[in-house]
Amino acid sequence: MKILVIEDDKTTGSYVADGLREEGHTVDLMTDGKDALLQASTTDYDILIVDRMLPGLDGVSVVKTMRGAKNQTPVLFLTSLGGVDDRIEGLNAGGDDYLVKPFAFGELSARVAALARRPRTTLEEVVLRAGDLEMDLVRRKVTRADHVIDLLPREFALLEHLLRRKGRVQTRTMLLEAVWDISFDPQTNVVETHISRLRAKVDKPFETELIKTVRGSGYRIEE
Amino acid sequence: MKTFKERSKALFRSTPLRLAVALVLLFAIVSLLSLGASYLVIRDSFNQTMETDLRQELAGFQSAPTAGALAQLITAEAAVTDPERRILSYLTADGKHYGNGVIARSQEGFRVLSFPDGEDISEGPYLALSANLHGGQLTVANSRSQIEDLGELFLNILLLSLLPTTAIALAAGLVIARRSGRRIEAVGGALRKLTEGDLSARVKKTAGRKDDLSSIAEQVDRMAAAQQSSVSALRQVSADIAHDLKTPIQRVAVLLNRARELPDLPDKLESILDDAGRETTGIVATFQSLLQIAQIEGGSPKSRFQPVDLAALAATFVEVYEPAADDSGHQIAADLPVKGTALVSGEKGLLGQVLANLIENALRHTPAGSKITVSVKRKGNRISLEVSDAGPGVPADERENVLRRLYRIEKSRTTPGNGLGLSLVAAIVDMHGGKLALTDNNPGLRVSVVFDGVR
Repeated sequence: MKILVIEDDKTTGSYVADGLREEGHTVDLMTDGKDALLQASTTDYDILIVDRMLPGLDGVSVVKTMRGAKNQTPVLFLTSLGGVDDRIEGLNAGGDDYLVKPFAFGELSARVAALARRPRTTLEEVVLRAGDLEMDLVRRKVTRADHVIDLLPREFALLEHLLRRKGRVQTRTMLLEAVWDISFDPQTNVVETHISRLRAKVDKPFETELIKTVRGSGYRIEE
Repeated sequence: MKTFKERSKALFRSTPLRLAVALVLLFAIVSLLSLGASYLVIRDSFNQTMETDLRQELAGFQSAPTAGALAQLITAEAAVTDPERRILSYLTADGKHYGNGVIARSQEGFRVLSFPDGEDISEGPYLALSANLHGGQLTVANSRSQIEDLGELFLNILLLSLLPTTAIALAAGLVIARRSGRRIEAVGGALRKLTEGDLSARVKKTAGRKDDLSSIAEQVDRMAAAQQSSVSALRQVSADIAHDLKTPIQRVAVLLNRARELPDLPDKLESILDDAGRETTGIVATFQSLLQIAQIEGGSPKSRFQPVDLAALAATFVEVYEPAADDSGHQIAADLPVKGTALVSGEKGLLGQVLANLIENALRHTPAGSKITVSVKRKGNRISLEVSDAGPGVPADERENVLRRLYRIEKSRTTPGNGLGLSLVAAIVDMHGGKLALTDNNPGLRVSVVFDGVR
């Protein structure tokens, strides 16, 4: 993917750029808001990673201007302001996701992957599949190798979320947001506990492991 | 609404009315003294005039050559003299009486006499002059009723001048007291609000007039504005510090991450790096809370408030903390009403933080095996959220303190936490117009938050 990182702090900027390059992306790094706006409107990027506080023109204005010019490139905001207000302001300005500093690279990488314009499973799909696992969304029924698996509502939602984003890492904060609707990190092991309960039902009785742990990042269901 | 009694009590305590009453009293005393003095002076001069009069009269009669002539003269004179005004009396040596009135014999000189009834002489003191003439006694007495009338006149003048003055002064005093009372109440109200912590309270100028009250109001407003700006400057500074420190912390986190990813690290170094990573996370959490408190107290827009189902939210957080509670040997019980019945107007994310912080606090400060109860109840239009535990609780004299920023009770210094959890809760509750109370759960602590419900 071709990614533009707009970040004025050099350490953070090169950390993000280097990490993404290591993952095989093409990355441009810019430090000034105005320059970056020009760059973003003349070059076609797959994703923009924008710091909110920038010299020249702040991140929110950059994205607002871009959206005003019908540029729909997905935007991930980086910020050291983590209040609910800031988050909402960022998302209202046209940001697609929001990451509060300091963040681990795995979190950033997972969110970048989630934002990528890859074909997703459509909402109309009624049966989700991974290997020999089937999830019937209409009948709320999960089977693996023709064995019926009973899931609690929260476990069902967790599995559905992972299945819909097959092949992509979901971090614990992403899961907290999607499954529990909590936008801050309550510092509990609720995600880990539910993942292990889910594994006990979905993976343990069978030969292959579907739900993979990605060290330092999160969880993924293999394609 | 204040009762009439309270209002009149306040009115009588008001300075303008007291001043008016004092002035009326002073005026009355001065009037009384000056009128009294005038009365005395005038009466004195009246007396003197009358005395001179009597002497001349007496001298006139003394010119009569014989007792007979005098008796004739007296009789003639008495016939045309009104005894109410003047009495002429001649008592001869042989006991005969002439004149228009009887005056009892007495020693010579001036005497005030009252005449007995029955001889048409009604009343009143007289000023009399007697002289021994031709063996008899001649007395001329002038009525003092004029002087008496004078006294009455002065009394009337006194009443006529005092009564309307008093009435007008009191009425004016009342009106002014009312009006200035309202303005003083405005200043008092603003000061009360300021004391209660609403730094945006102002007296606001009362229309037009420039006087001492309006200048006090202005000064109160100026003081409040100065206070508000210094408090907000302080908040801004703490927000700025928190914000400016997050970038370097991010760098530290990045560097630690890079070090952690190096190949072939000795195990010991790995665990040191992990510890360092956890510490940075803790620092970030502290700054995050500080920033958030500053932001919330700085007045977050309430326009974004939406109905939030407190029961559903509490259920989620009980579920979220259940695994952590299991791990630490705690039990979490939920006592929640049917979903959709406990709606409050607010910010879901922030209300969630209230629940998270309260449950986390309970888990952190109670020993393993303790039971924690999260309950949501509806009473009328009030919705209360309670998190209670059976732990050691918070001593009554510490309950105010634990709401203070960064404050930690001595014995909890060893447990993790940054002392911001309850301050954040307090700030969020305040922003939502709720009431936060820490009470005894016998044993343990009960934290209750009461919100207005959404109908």
